[in-house]
Amino acid sequence: MAPKPHRVLLDRVSGYADEAAAYMRRRRVSRRPFARLYYPNGRSADHADDSSAGAELFVAAGRLIEVAGKRPKA
Amino acid sequence: MADVPATEVALGDAAEAALGFLTEMSPDLRGAAILDSTGAVLAAAEDPERWREDAAALFEIADRAGAEPVEQVHVATEQGEVFALRHAGLAAIAVTERFALASLMFFDMRSTLRDLATAGRRADKSTVTRQIGPSTPGEG
Repeated sequence: MAPKPHRVLLDRVSGYADEAAAYMRRRRVSRRPFARLYYPNGRSADHADDSSAGAELFVAAGRLIEVAGKRPKA
Repeated sequence: MADVPATEVALGDAAEAALGFLTEMSPDLRGAAILDSTGAVLAAAEDPERWREDAAALFEIADRAGAEPVEQVHVATEQGEVFALRHAGLAAIAVTERFALASLMFFDMRSTLRDLATAGRRADKSTVTRQIGPSTPGEG
């Protein structure tokens, strides 16, 4: 017997949700710190944390994170 | 406050409102600041002086890293993420939780600065109109 149409739709939607959740999980696990600069002409440049500019950017960003502090729990 | 121009006060108020709106729109936001073209803080989550110094340092390092001034900066660390954007003669800095969506964050920051710049121009125009007065007698 063929499944009811709404079952097919529900399966498809939950399939997409599973894919999205897996993508977000992989992103959390695999993503490393980075520093990226964007220029007005659309060009962008990545700076590794072992380069001098990259290291300075991470230090400056760290200070800003410190100023912002932790987000108050809702 | 007596010697502060009316446009600066108006822009500061608008920046405070814009910052509040940005905070409301972005659930991942921990703190943010809006600066004018001179680097002065128009609005900040707290401690404007620290925001001014650290934002200036970030833009200075970012500008030095390339041949031309940067438009956007995105630094993702283990502790959080920093977004900085220059637009329409203003700058915005935001610190978020990890894994905030960069495109959305930059979009919100850009639209906030665009609205603020428009409000600033409007305030400028009304101040000039007040100073000069109506161009013909009986007008206004």
